Amino acid sequence: MMNSRHAALEFIILCFNFFTMKNLLPFLLLALVFGGCQKDELPSAKYSFVKPAHFPEPVYPLDRNPVTKEGFELGKKIFGDPILSRDGSVACNNCHVKGVAFADPQHPFSIGVDEREGLRNAPGIANMAFMKEFMWDGGVHHLDFAPPNAIENPLEMDEKMTHVLWKMNQHGSYPALFRKAFPDMGDTITSPYLLFALSQYQNMLVSATSKYDHYKLGDANLTANELEGLALFEQKCAACHSGILFTNQEYRNNGLDSEFADLGRGKITESPDDMGCFKVPSLRNVELTKPYMHNARFKTLEEVLDHYASGVKPSATLADELQQNGTLGIPLTPTEKARIIDFLKTLTDHEFIQDTRF
Amino acid sequence: MKKFLLLTALFGALFLSACKDEEEAKDPGTFAITFDNMALINNVQQQLSLTTAGNTDYPYTNEMGQQFNITLLRYYISAIELDGPNGEHFHDHMEATAAGAKGYYLVDESKPASQEILLTDVPAGTYNKITFTVGVDSSGIVDGAAGGNLDPATCNMFWNWNSGYIAVKFEGQSPVSNGGVGGTETIAGTDPNGMAYHVGGWKNIPGGVFVYNNKRLSYTFDTNAKVESKLEPELHMVFDVQKLFGGHHAIDFTGNHNVHKPADGVDVANNLEHAFAYDHIHQ
Repeated sequence: MMNSRHAALEFIILCFNFFTMKNLLPFLLLALVFGGCQKDELPSAKYSFVKPAHFPEPVYPLDRNPVTKEGFELGKKIFGDPILSRDGSVACNNCHVKGVAFADPQHPFSIGVDEREGLRNAPGIANMAFMKEFMWDGGVHHLDFAPPNAIENPLEMDEKMTHVLWKMNQHGSYPALFRKAFPDMGDTITSPYLLFALSQYQNMLVSATSKYDHYKLGDANLTANELEGLALFEQKCAACHSGILFTNQEYRNNGLDSEFADLGRGKITESPDDMGCFKVPSLRNVELTKPYMHNARFKTLEEVLDHYASGVKPSATLADELQQNGTLGIPLTPTEKARIIDFLKTLTDHEFIQDTRF
Repeated sequence: MKKFLLLTALFGALFLSACKDEEEAKDPGTFAITFDNMALINNVQQQLSLTTAGNTDYPYTNEMGQQFNITLLRYYISAIELDGPNGEHFHDHMEATAAGAKGYYLVDESKPASQEILLTDVPAGTYNKITFTVGVDSSGIVDGAAGGNLDPATCNMFWNWNSGYIAVKFEGQSPVSNGGVGGTETIAGTDPNGMAYHVGGWKNIPGGVFVYNNKRLSYTFDTNAKVESKLEPELHMVFDVQKLFGGHHAIDFTGNHNVHKPADGVDVANNLEHAFAYDHIHQ
């Protein structure tokens, strides 16, 4: 507050000095506008992690790796730099594209180096700071440890972390940028700092300004159809897609198949109860993140709801939520499906995908 | 001003006397630990010799009588504690930050310096028991990336897919193994006799489904180790690589010889308490 007022005052004085003219009013107005802008653009507010009022406490230990402007911008640069891949052809944002809430807009399975095709659909990246585990199988327990999975996976970036660091340490700008972001770092860039920068960037990707959020905070109204959809959603979907993050952060077999080509969570826990289970994804921005499911089985939300209504396949680990009262799936009429989709579209966060910081 | 000087002098005197009192107790000292990796052959401890892929000399034998050689042997030792008969207790300082890791030691057969651990600031006294964890428990990983011995890029002990540190990594060859190993540092999948035992699993959740393979082991000494500022006691622990494949559960190289996930490593992990042993102390 003090700073912006001070800046505005300085600007007015500047105006007096440079323009000793008759009509000062436009400049005074301009000064006011500038002062207003500056208030919003204080670096501390713009580039620090702010928990939305209606969100839970973050899971990520932000005191261990607090977001700074320098760290965030370094993370953003790395996120978009194919230096992470073996042949310089694949960056994080090849498959996590801002315009579709950091999902892959084109490929059911993302394309890595040498046009290699991955094994699972690239999920969107949003609200990572609030997530307990990462990847479709939850094999990664901390956001810091997520990027090496893409970097070192032969089907994705096919590179070694040590070689990425070697390239960065030889690079024209990275060493200085790292030192600026992490003053405690020694002369050499090491992996924890690389991972910290990427986590800072991802932690800032908070999607909390959808129409639904504005409704929740009392700033907007939902249409009758959307409200009807919300009621149906709470009744039929929210057992798993629960809370403000629209996921209970658990693992479920949602009946895509009776036999599992991909063991999913079962590969991580090695428990027979988890075979064919995958992380319940957040539904925020779900309108943008097609195709759907870990194996990209469905192209549209209509197909997804058709699956839950009439396509669920039985197996030993099928989610209890999908076999209530002895019937497979979730009973849904065509109208109910349409209303639920109306509601799901209120989770699209246009402010998020248009945020110039990201 | 005079009053102030008087007060300062008074406090100074108090402070000095306090120091004197403390001097009566002996100053803390160091405690060195050497991990000697070896194989007991005909009751003689043989120093290990690492070899490379393709070598068909097999100097070692497991409990089932199957021969093998070693191309890589590496394990984490962490959370070291010392205890003495008079209530002496020392807990090694643990820290995992981006700048480095303290209290996490990575013993590597190919790096002699890594086999020697020097504990400092150990309270003066006698000690007759050591306790340590083989592996890296949640304190070293749950909060995120760290440097030093825990640097996931350079430690060569990190599982990306199931984020966590491998506790014990063994690679080698046996004439009875049919090869086909993957995810290895020293042995190729095409090696007809390759073996890989990457033993990990750190999620120690009671009642949970995860396999926990880190081991907390304790060993008592037959002689007390005396610690004070002018002394340099040195504990020698041994690690018998042959007992990694026996003792609790005999490992059959014809079967489970490509271990890369917690459940597959349980039997080897359970052998660890037999593989490690107290050997002797230099006072």
